[in-house]
Amino acid sequence: MKIFTPDAPEYQSVDTSKLVLVQMDETISDTKFEGKPIGFFKDAAIRFCRNKGSLIAFFVILVMIILAIFGPNFNDYGYNEQNGDIKDLPPKVPGLCKIGIMDGTRWMEGRQLYYDPNTGAGIYLDETKSLDRVSEKYAGCILKVEETGEVIAGKEMCRVKIDYYKYVGLDDDTYFWFGTDYLGRDLWTRLWRGARISLIIAFVSTFANVAIGLVYGAIAGYYGGWVDMVLMRITEIIAAIPQIVIVTLFMLYFGAGLTSIIFALLIQNWIGTARMIRTQFYRYKGYEYVLAARTLGVKDFALIFKHILPNSIGPIITRAMIAIPSAIFTESFLAYLGLGVQAPDTSMGILLSDGQKSLMQYPYKVWCPAIVISLLMIAFNMLANGLRDAFDPTQRGV
Amino acid sequence: MEANLNKEPILKVNDLVVNFNAYAGTVQAVRGVSFELYEGETLAIVGESGSGKSVTTKAVLGILPKNGRIDGGEIWYHGEDMAKYTEKDFYNIRGKKISLVFQDPLSALNPIMKIGKQIMEALILSLKMPKAEAKARALELMKAVGIPEAEVRFEQYPFQFSGGMRQRIVIAIALASDPEILVCDEPTTALDVTIQAQILDLINEMKAKSNVSVIFITHDMGVVANMADRICVMYAGRIVEVGTADEIFYEPAHPYTWALLSSMPDLDTKEKLFAIPGAPPNMITPPQGDAFAPRNKYALALDFEEAPPYFKLSETHYAASWLCHPDAPKVEMPEILKNRIKRMKEAEEKHGK
Amino acid sequence: MLKYIGERLLAMFITLAIILTLVFCMIRMMPGGIYDELEDITQEQLDALYAKHNLDKPILVQFGIFIKNVVTDWDWGYSLKLQPNQTVWGILGDKIPITIYENIFSLMISIPLGIGFGILAAIKKNTWIDHVISVMVVICISVPSFVFASLLQYFIGFKLGLFPIVYEPGSTGFAMFYSMTLPIVALALNPIATITRYLRAELAETINSDFMLLARTKGLTEAQATVRHGIRNSILPILSTLVALFTNIMSGSLVIESIFSIPGMGGLMIKSINAIDYNVTQATLVFYSLISLGSILLCDLLYGVVDPRVRVGGKKE
Repeated sequence: MKIFTPDAPEYQSVDTSKLVLVQMDETISDTKFEGKPIGFFKDAAIRFCRNKGSLIAFFVILVMIILAIFGPNFNDYGYNEQNGDIKDLPPKVPGLCKIGIMDGTRWMEGRQLYYDPNTGAGIYLDETKSLDRVSEKYAGCILKVEETGEVIAGKEMCRVKIDYYKYVGLDDDTYFWFGTDYLGRDLWTRLWRGARISLIIAFVSTFANVAIGLVYGAIAGYYGGWVDMVLMRITEIIAAIPQIVIVTLFMLYFGAGLTSIIFALLIQNWIGTARMIRTQFYRYKGYEYVLAARTLGVKDFALIFKHILPNSIGPIITRAMIAIPSAIFTESFLAYLGLGVQAPDTSMGILLSDGQKSLMQYPYKVWCPAIVISLLMIAFNMLANGLRDAFDPTQRGV
Repeated sequence: MEANLNKEPILKVNDLVVNFNAYAGTVQAVRGVSFELYEGETLAIVGESGSGKSVTTKAVLGILPKNGRIDGGEIWYHGEDMAKYTEKDFYNIRGKKISLVFQDPLSALNPIMKIGKQIMEALILSLKMPKAEAKARALELMKAVGIPEAEVRFEQYPFQFSGGMRQRIVIAIALASDPEILVCDEPTTALDVTIQAQILDLINEMKAKSNVSVIFITHDMGVVANMADRICVMYAGRIVEVGTADEIFYEPAHPYTWALLSSMPDLDTKEKLFAIPGAPPNMITPPQGDAFAPRNKYALALDFEEAPPYFKLSETHYAASWLCHPDAPKVEMPEILKNRIKRMKEAEEKHGK
Repeated sequence: MLKYIGERLLAMFITLAIILTLVFCMIRMMPGGIYDELEDITQEQLDALYAKHNLDKPILVQFGIFIKNVVTDWDWGYSLKLQPNQTVWGILGDKIPITIYENIFSLMISIPLGIGFGILAAIKKNTWIDHVISVMVVICISVPSFVFASLLQYFIGFKLGLFPIVYEPGSTGFAMFYSMTLPIVALALNPIATITRYLRAELAETINSDFMLLARTKGLTEAQATVRHGIRNSILPILSTLVALFTNIMSGSLVIESIFSIPGMGGLMIKSINAIDYNVTQATLVFYSLISLGSILLCDLLYGVVDPRVRVGGKKE
């Protein structure tokens, strides 16, 4: 605690000429707040960009959307181009195949070591075990033979690594980046076509979900009273039915297909949005600024859209971002139940559930769609988190 | 209302500096605060929101938020510097020697724990009191703070209590272990005006019974008048004036104290109520010199350049304003305040306070 | 409290009635006849089949008969096509316990793990532990359970051979649990992450609450205050998410069961849907509704027990 003592050297040097009143006659007005005013969206954008995770998520989603739109055209295969001769091909990517991954090879288990002219099975023609002397079927495509030492019905067994593309008679320049499915269709094309369908389902159903929820919630929250009571009772009843039950019923009744999936996703999902909007309206309609606007004669319509709704934009966008991955999930889920889009069209769920049937033999058929769907879901969830934090800094880290 | 000059203070805070790491930068919440607390007195710390009064007492109790830290100064208590205490050291102080009464009794009590248990908890866990004894003590405390039907209330939950009742419980919890110092952080702000007076009376009553020293934080000069022996006026993380209640009310010396007293509503003032112009400074970049200068009609040129030291006005009265410098122009306090002080003095003589 | 329970029960029965009506009528109004693909069948035989299952009567009459049979004899009718001439209840009876085990086990491992990780993350907020947990949470919440199921089945089951890749029918006791390990883990990851995220948020907020501060200023250590006030108060709101979690696990198990060939309700439902077996489908749907409504009711009652504001005041604040 510094106490003034006239004799202390530090106070000797005090410039007494400055002991003069300087703003006695000035009117001191409230000073302007320092710093530039930042708009709501700019503020949110700044906060959003500081969050590395959600920025990355945003770009992942962007890339996925671009691939879903253009990916199927990156090669010349059609999504429904069937060819029984080239079914179940493993992935083969130019460049990567040089370093031994996704090179179109496959281990074949349980082969006979020696060629048996009676059955046509077996690898080596004689005991030299030379790759030049193999049965015609395998000629030129065997990369490695591993003897397992097993003997079945008097025959020595082995497993072989073969260039599967050569094996089915394709030349070296043929590539199926993600392999082919059980009908010989190119999985790259099908995957991105499936992603396109899944994203369309997700975006359309989410858009409709927000639109319905917004109108419904706004009416309930703004008008309150018995309108609110009736509207909310209706949502309670719909929400009480388990989602699997209502969605299954809906799909059974209207049949599988793009539109009915979108509607099935909608049945219950809009309720959450409606409730959120209603709460927002309830809160804000009691605020003084709304009352003030009302006393000035502002019409209901303007009150709803100009004075109350803008407060809800942040939560609405966040909610939509959460609804998208959950729609993607539900679509895949329905596909597993056999209630997905109709063949020959495909979706990520259909690809996953088809691939699952032969997981042990051809795991790549599951991994490709699994990675895409997981990346999409993670990215959308991270984006939603980032947006929530950006729009509502008080929720940071929650 | 005599200051205890001859006594040793039980708590002595010296040049305390508290900073917060915030989103936008380092907030200098407390910038060199010094004060003493004597046994049995009530020291009021007055200031507007954000002046650092709550932060000062939180530092004393060792309950600064995680992003806050003591960056300088000492807090002397029983010969030890609490500024260097660890969480473990504070454990032996909090609730035993120093207690806190919160601003908002609605959120200060755990909503899903019975009232009785919340009072007993500290007695059992921290003072190692047997359960039966703790219960008896809790009931005794509840009666002491004026809870009717204490036995019934003991088994109830906070949501069954009114705001004033809850604040009584919070006071009972604070007094449970006979602390030496009771810190009241705006204990009446969240309450109805009619309840406020009851709670203030209760604090005074409890203080008289147990001779506890009270640090009373408030922004309400009206409340201070009834409670305080001595008053510290805080502005922008510093104490700008300190003195006995009489000195602060009747002979204020700092322009900020003048402004505070002028802006206090009372029944007799006919003029328009005074409002302090401008806004409190941004504590990330506090102004050089006297922080109040930009809002101060009586600011001197030097105020904008150099922070004023404390000028001793009496044994107990100090003010940090260059206006008190012997060479400074003599400035009279505003007319409105002069009239008001005159009225206050008359009223006091009339009531023989 | 009694009034509160009564209200909940009444609400549940009304919902159940609505669901029953909806399920019954919608399934029966589905396009396409159920015996369409039986080609070499005479009209008389078809009529006889219809009459046997009351399919020739108006829908409301059918509904009446159905309700009467269920209420009086617990008779859910016969399977129409899946396993013709077997009672629906007979088919369901075998499968319900398996599905229940699987779901309850998943929930039982996810609650303690989720609470544990949530507390850890909240107490160590903004340290590397918290960050690692948060990353895991985002992954486990985002990646669908059936993707996890495929991963587990292929790598843990097939490549490493640690656990069976499919359920072993007829196994009991530990063997059953062992062969269900992978599906249970696949189902539990999402709930664990959900509970962790929720508890972390709740606890982080509670830790900053005034009553936690009061607990410390009245002389409790930080650990005591966290345990007695923080954790107890933040676990309470988790109860309300358990319903959603359990329904999530239930619907997840539909797919997981088919991936791991578990002969439970999920597989049955998929099969009955594809075979257009009205009676079985409607019974499975009612089963799922009952489970979900039951868990909502249970949760409401639990709330009443643990939250004094409900127990004493009779309402949720």
